[in-house]
Amino acid sequence: MNSVKQEAIHEYLFHYFKASGCDILEARPGFLKVKLTIELDKLLMNRPFYWHYVEKIGQTPETQTLILKTNPNEEEGEFVHFGSPRLHQIFASARELSPSIRLYEVQKGQTGQTALYPWLGLNAKISYCSDWKRDFILSLGLNLVSGMVVKSFQESLENMALTPKIPDYCYTLSPMIKPMSGLTRLERVIESIISEDDHTWAEEARKRWESDLSLLTQFYEDYAGEEELLETFEKEKQALQEQYEPNVKINIINGGLFYLGNHSIA
Amino acid sequence: MTQLPKITFDRSWYEPFIKNIEQDGPWADWELYRLAYESEKQLSVPHFRGLVAPDHLPELQLLPHQRETAERVIEQMHGKAILADEVGLGKTIEAGLIMKEYMIRGLAKKILILVPASLVLQWAKELNEKFYIPAVPQRKSYVWEQCDVVISSIDTAKRSPHADIILEQNYDLIIIDEAHKLKNHKTKNYQFAQKLKKKFCLLLTATPIQNRLSELYYLVTLLKPGYLGDAESFFEDYRSGKNKVKNEEKLRELVNRVMVRNRRSETEMDWPKRHVQSIEIPLTPEERQLYDSLSRLKDTDFIQGFSLLTLQRETCSSREALYMTIKKMLEANQNSVFHETLAPIVENIQAVTTNSKAEKALELIQSINDKVIIFTEYRATQLYLQWFLKQKGITSVPFRGGFKRSKKDWMRTLFQNNAQVLIATEAGGEGINLQFCHHVINYDLPWNPMRIEQRIGRIHRLGQEHDVHIYNFATKDTIEEHILHLLYDKINLFENVIGELDEILTRLDLKDIDKEIADIFTHSESEGEIRIKMDNLASVIQAEGMGSEEGDELRETGSDT
Repeated sequence: MNSVKQEAIHEYLFHYFKASGCDILEARPGFLKVKLTIELDKLLMNRPFYWHYVEKIGQTPETQTLILKTNPNEEEGEFVHFGSPRLHQIFASARELSPSIRLYEVQKGQTGQTALYPWLGLNAKISYCSDWKRDFILSLGLNLVSGMVVKSFQESLENMALTPKIPDYCYTLSPMIKPMSGLTRLERVIESIISEDDHTWAEEARKRWESDLSLLTQFYEDYAGEEELLETFEKEKQALQEQYEPNVKINIINGGLFYLGNHSIA
Repeated sequence: MTQLPKITFDRSWYEPFIKNIEQDGPWADWELYRLAYESEKQLSVPHFRGLVAPDHLPELQLLPHQRETAERVIEQMHGKAILADEVGLGKTIEAGLIMKEYMIRGLAKKILILVPASLVLQWAKELNEKFYIPAVPQRKSYVWEQCDVVISSIDTAKRSPHADIILEQNYDLIIIDEAHKLKNHKTKNYQFAQKLKKKFCLLLTATPIQNRLSELYYLVTLLKPGYLGDAESFFEDYRSGKNKVKNEEKLRELVNRVMVRNRRSETEMDWPKRHVQSIEIPLTPEERQLYDSLSRLKDTDFIQGFSLLTLQRETCSSREALYMTIKKMLEANQNSVFHETLAPIVENIQAVTTNSKAEKALELIQSINDKVIIFTEYRATQLYLQWFLKQKGITSVPFRGGFKRSKKDWMRTLFQNNAQVLIATEAGGEGINLQFCHHVINYDLPWNPMRIEQRIGRIHRLGQEHDVHIYNFATKDTIEEHILHLLYDKINLFENVIGELDEILTRLDLKDIDKEIADIFTHSESEGEIRIKMDNLASVIQAEGMGSEEGDELRETGSDT
């Protein structure tokens, strides 16, 4: 068991439950005991009948306590590691709970009124798929006033002090680019990043596809005229397409509006 | 200039976002937002090659050949392969690993697993417990549509209304266990499997199909139609005479690209050792008298041949086993001469007061002072032994093939935690795992060596960390001793590695070996004749066993890497 990874998972869980507003009843390295909020109980505990019932009769609900351990040697608790369904459920719920955001940068040592520039931030997962697959994450920021685009936007944000309420003495500039057209612009940016990449993988997948397809076609030609087989032939062709056809898929992880100081992003 | 692949944006996120802007929220918490980004980073797989599944399965001990197989299937065979490892090397693990890898990478979501009915639950258990794959055994017809990973028997799947629903599902991966049963392309099962859309597909088989050209052809063609061309020209190119293979080299190369066959001899595995001890047990005078009195039945008109053999074998086990059969015979036949003929035997049964084997077993169990499994062929012996051991203060639990799954599991738990001895009448092929036990007593010997293999296989398998001790009981100067010495000792049955015998008997078409043996005993005029015939049988099996390596015509020597 990779203990560094286990520690990271523990950290993750701790922050996750804390951020979701759960009561942390007990926390020590490798062990976590939390009283769930109603929202998380519904998301994680899979007991729709209970919630249906409680809500119907108007009873005060009792949420469950979850005991998780990242150290397998702990006696009590559900063991959580990188492959455990519980962690993946929590990962999925984190995404579900935070689809979009709006934040303002807190300006340090400011004097007088400060203007904050609107940025559209977008975190996306790009997947190259054929019969093989690989992914990478792109975090892009678009300045909605100047049209400037930056990469690793999320990483830049990590170093800033951000708050959900507009800080005192700050005002926001109104965007020249509407959010929807901002999204379209970012799509073009993503496309151009992809087009500059090496796509030998796609070429090779197409070759494999063509080679298998020609064997298949030859085979069924020999049985031409047998109606029943025609259907199977079509199915096999479709299967080959699904197996090999190279394509790039873009999924949005999350995104939002960020109002940042003039020189915050270089 | 390379052609740019098709690019697709999932835009479902846009609308709710724009709506949030218009309505001024609700907005997410910054910490959670960061955690969501972080988790996606963790989950994304940056490389086309290599396996990520093992990182998700920290508790699973993978053997090198299992990992290599999964890699080879995904990277070089593009997810369409025949897994044909020798028995006991963990084909299910390999299939599970490949499945997990595809699921993690998001290349497979909807998965259909077709296995023999008796293995459905075991597959479900393994996938759920070892791989955290929520595989569901098919019970209701709506399962096909609602669940992503479904396990079913092919016999259920091919029937209406299931077949039509299944054919409409968009499966990413199809797995068929015991695929050698699909060798005949004219059967309904084969045709059903043919109709399934196979984006990724794994066919699992334990039987060496290399030497059977037509099985090989139809199995590969099921996997990748056209890969071996049409039937006519395939057989023209590769078959010489009736059953011989020609152009082997070329065929082997072709087949190696779609089939993985790991061999025990090539894997770096540490099998636990088998320590085998044959124990000859002299009969008491009373038992001897009973046994001999049966032989005299040969001269009567009533009981001969096979039924006489049965009685003799039962006597070697326990007087109780014999008595149950005799009682049934007497009830079924009211003929007074028949009753008179059997009367002395019934008397002899009553005269027997001790069971020499049981005494020996007791002595052994006490000296082992650890968990022991006793296998017997007979229910009556099982009951007797339970009673006998209880008298001597030894705890035991019974086990029968006919028990329901839950009862089997319960008995297993009882044995593990509360009893020293498990008395089983059947090895029960479906995976009851008894690896915590290292001692097996074969109280009586079945005549089909495969059953012995299955018995031993309950505890001598991958994951067993201790050496295994096997004690074979044979009563002296009886047919039991014949079987032990003339056959089993000669073919080194007990030392054999798991699976080898299965393959040998398959190759020899000797799956009904118990019938052959019964034949030898019933149709031989003398001891000498029995001896010669048993000798012949043993030599045939032995020769095949020794020749198997060279004789394997499509043996994989090279690899296509």
